[in-house]
Amino acid sequence: MNTTSVEKIIALSRDLRWQIGDEFHDNLAEGIYADASEIAMGSVSSDNSKKRFRLDAKIDKIVTSKAWGFPIMILILGVVLWITIIGANYPSSMLADLLLENFHPFLKGLAASIGMPWWLDGFLIDGVYLAVAWVIAVMLPPMAIFFPMFTLLEDFGYLPRVAFNLDYLFKKSGAHGKQALTMSMGFGCNAAGVVATRIIDSPRERLIAIITNNFSLCNGRWPTQILIATIFIGAVVPASISGLASLSAVISIAILGIFFMFVVSWALSKTVLKGEVSTFNLELPPYRPPRFWKTVYTSIIDRTLIVLWRAILFAAPAGAVIWLISNIYIGDLSIASWTITSLDGFGFLLGLNGVILLAYIVAIPANEIVIPTILMLTVMATGIAGGDGVGVMFELDSAGETATILKAGGWTLLTAVNLMLFSLLHNPCSTTIYTIYKETKSVKWTVFASVLPVIMGFVLTFLVAQIWRIVF
Amino acid sequence: MESKIASACQSCSQFNANGLKKLGVSTDNFDFVIAIAGNPNTGKSTVFNALTGLRQHTGNWPGKTVVRAEGAFQYNDRKFKLVDLPGTYSLLSTSQDEEVARNFILFGKPDVTIIVVDAGRLERNLNLVLQILEITNKAVLCLNLMDEANRNNINIEVRSLARDLGIPVVPTSARFNEGIPELIQTINDVATGEIICKSRHIKNVNGNINEAVKKLSAEIEKQFPSMPNSRWIAFRLLEGDTRIIKALRNGELA
Amino acid sequence: MTTYNPVYALLIFVAISTVIYLIFRPVKGWFWVIKNNLSFNEKTVIEDILKQLYHFENSGKEANIKSLTGVLKFKDHLIIDVINLMTINKLIYFEGDVLRLTNTGRDYSLRIVRVHRLWEKYLAEKTGIDKAEWHDRAEFMEHKLSQEETNSLASQLGNPVYDPHGDPIPTTSGKVAKVKGVALSSLAVNSIGKITHIEDEPDVIYKQIIAENIHIGSQIRVVENSPERIIFYAEGEEFKLAPIVAANLTVAPLDKTIMVEENTIRLSSLKENETAKIVGISKESRGERRRRLLDLGFVKGTQISIDLMSPLQNPTAYLVKGTSIALRKDQASKILIKKDESHGK
Repeated sequence: MNTTSVEKIIALSRDLRWQIGDEFHDNLAEGIYADASEIAMGSVSSDNSKKRFRLDAKIDKIVTSKAWGFPIMILILGVVLWITIIGANYPSSMLADLLLENFHPFLKGLAASIGMPWWLDGFLIDGVYLAVAWVIAVMLPPMAIFFPMFTLLEDFGYLPRVAFNLDYLFKKSGAHGKQALTMSMGFGCNAAGVVATRIIDSPRERLIAIITNNFSLCNGRWPTQILIATIFIGAVVPASISGLASLSAVISIAILGIFFMFVVSWALSKTVLKGEVSTFNLELPPYRPPRFWKTVYTSIIDRTLIVLWRAILFAAPAGAVIWLISNIYIGDLSIASWTITSLDGFGFLLGLNGVILLAYIVAIPANEIVIPTILMLTVMATGIAGGDGVGVMFELDSAGETATILKAGGWTLLTAVNLMLFSLLHNPCSTTIYTIYKETKSVKWTVFASVLPVIMGFVLTFLVAQIWRIVF
Repeated sequence: MESKIASACQSCSQFNANGLKKLGVSTDNFDFVIAIAGNPNTGKSTVFNALTGLRQHTGNWPGKTVVRAEGAFQYNDRKFKLVDLPGTYSLLSTSQDEEVARNFILFGKPDVTIIVVDAGRLERNLNLVLQILEITNKAVLCLNLMDEANRNNINIEVRSLARDLGIPVVPTSARFNEGIPELIQTINDVATGEIICKSRHIKNVNGNINEAVKKLSAEIEKQFPSMPNSRWIAFRLLEGDTRIIKALRNGELA
Repeated sequence: MTTYNPVYALLIFVAISTVIYLIFRPVKGWFWVIKNNLSFNEKTVIEDILKQLYHFENSGKEANIKSLTGVLKFKDHLIIDVINLMTINKLIYFEGDVLRLTNTGRDYSLRIVRVHRLWEKYLAEKTGIDKAEWHDRAEFMEHKLSQEETNSLASQLGNPVYDPHGDPIPTTSGKVAKVKGVALSSLAVNSIGKITHIEDEPDVIYKQIIAENIHIGSQIRVVENSPERIIFYAEGEEFKLAPIVAANLTVAPLDKTIMVEENTIRLSSLKENETAKIVGISKESRGERRRRLLDLGFVKGTQISIDLMSPLQNPTAYLVKGTSIALRKDQASKILIKKDESHGK
């Protein structure tokens, strides 16, 4: 090939470009469409091609109407979350029963019968196995319910309408309407929500969606919220309305999360991510009845199992670490006790305590094991009776017993409120952090997305704690 | 392209059901590479799944297939590798999706490109079809969502459409597996050269620009006599597409 | 723990936050001030002086040291030092009090102006950066790009003649095209024209023009011109401007007979149950966003109507070529249409 003649072609193209001016793209696009309509005219005939299928139009009029648009959206999201949380209870406790109550002792027995040394048995079975089992038991059922429902809505064609309805609010905060969907997806799992941001074209808006996804309270955190709200918030009101009170506390936390999502999106688009203008163009596809079983199948394979697998990969070493820090001693104290003591001061400042902070450090891999870790550490730190042994996470069947242990650990209503806030505002779990890195390919943004919520959590809990102490 | 072949496909007589084997993700040692392109929301991924037997998630949501999905099937002892490209409205802009789709068709030189269109919105979809036909002439038009079009009383003259476009046209309803055997047969025929396409090129380009394109593509053909899509390259050069300039310089297009 | 008191804790927190705010707040934060002071150099000052002199010369005004120190944001003694240096290097000379460019100086200043306007063009066509930011970014880049980089940028952009504000871009040989037209404030009532240039300095006035949603390339008709205000119609909308703002818009007068876009309005003003045909996309929509609209089927001659309004009225979904496509209001305002005479059934 001849280089000079290639350069000649390129030079010629430049001259010609200059001659035809900057209307080129417009003209070409118009030309192609003119061709297209010519061809279509020759082969397409229709009785009333301009009219869309009438049922479609009717549905659209309702789901995007001023009166019904938002209530329907909130209702659907509420129902999806409700079915997820309630529906997951039974299979979750069944899995817990199987994996934690039955299989765990069986493994212990097996290990004892082959004469496995106590440290290996503890490390593998009490540490690694237990963490993995816990993650599966807590995570699998809600995700296996949430994702198929979400996917069904997606396949039906409702989700683009949600983006359409909410775009104005997102535009005000400098973000893209499709962020409404990645946010809702985040209620299921933040890692899946981060992957879902691929539907946003503009890199800037996508980054905003990725960074703020953590403000959606994910499935791993709902149980913590519900448990703590039941024990502490439900207890301060008359028994007749305690259920209602704890429910509204949890919902307030979720709404607070949405509020932070908007505020942080807005702040990002005004500061570090300013510059690019936000645009929005979205096709509203016709409704298509989803094929139920196929959708359920593919969403479990595509979303649930992939996310679960990643979570297990991260939970296994976390379990090992939990067991190790409780069983390795420096002098008289285990690493865990030692860390708890040194974190207590800072924890107190935030209205929390050293146990909670340590639990959140070791539970970075999976929010699901926060409560079991807190219980285990509290028992260890206070030396009260209970639990299954040093370094072995556990959970109790009744909220009352859990309350007894936590109160023995010095918990007050303030601790509970701040724990709920901190559970909303802390670093994403390691699965999500890893996913953020995979999606952004940037260490800088991954670190930013991980650190920003923790700092917000520190500041918020700190402020709440000081004001609480001044007022009460 | 002769209309009698299109009708033969429709009658399905040649289709050898026993010769079909869906291979899922195993894409080794294939004989032909097939690309699937199309607008978002045309059921592109459904066609892909129907051909390969894979159950890739198909979202009713633009820009779903962001990463390239691959699969394979075997028909009459020939192995076909399928590449599902991101759904795009056009190949003229510079978004990431379009770049992926465009580069695969241009540089990957697939043996056949299946263009999936929504039968109910043909005019809009033809925008992409005409652009692809500027790049490659080994293409099959998959007229999908026929069930929806029928429900909306839209009739399409498949023969005259095939004649106008110069490529085979296969009506399908991939959700219900209708028309998929005919599609496979047609892909096979185009890949093996039994059907020779003579694809349509964009006609309605305004005079001024047409002159420039002619001049430039003549110059390109002089340098690269075997290049089938010199006109399209000319379009891109006039747009100042740096990727194409680079490709010209390093000989990727030769 | 004995010294702990929540009030003190809060006070300490407030103190720390205040310090962090003072250091890092946008623009005026100490961190940024120090950073900017460190990054300045002589070249920047020389180039800014040259550019200012070029603008003075172009607008027919005369410049002296006082007027220069007035417009430049460097310290006065620094400007005077640099001016001395520049006279020695024969970039400028004094004619009494008045500063003038030598031929070398003018060539140099044209190069700077060229980079500045090319960069604005680049930002407009190849990125999605907000137009309010083009100027500042170009101010920064004009000192960075070498001549070679500038030329390759120009050819990548197709050697454009005008920048996105309508200002001519000097060629490599220093030729500058003329901006056709007069200031909007000087147009008589009922005269017709096309906006060819929007001045982006000073910033305050430019921001007002942006806020008014005035688009370059649109045809206008003046309906009132008084010392208090100027009112004109463009694309079916009415605009009221103070004369000082209107003076920053350049309009090329058109003959009444070639006024073809009289009934052209913006898509954003289409109402439900009305149908229209697309006339084109405003010059104000550029680069990738413009191409995207074209790809989605918003091309000349296409029938369009409103399909759905979102609950908050923005965005709106339009029915184009059989598909419903949602656009935000600001994008819809850049698509020009002509309403159909008889409304749809």
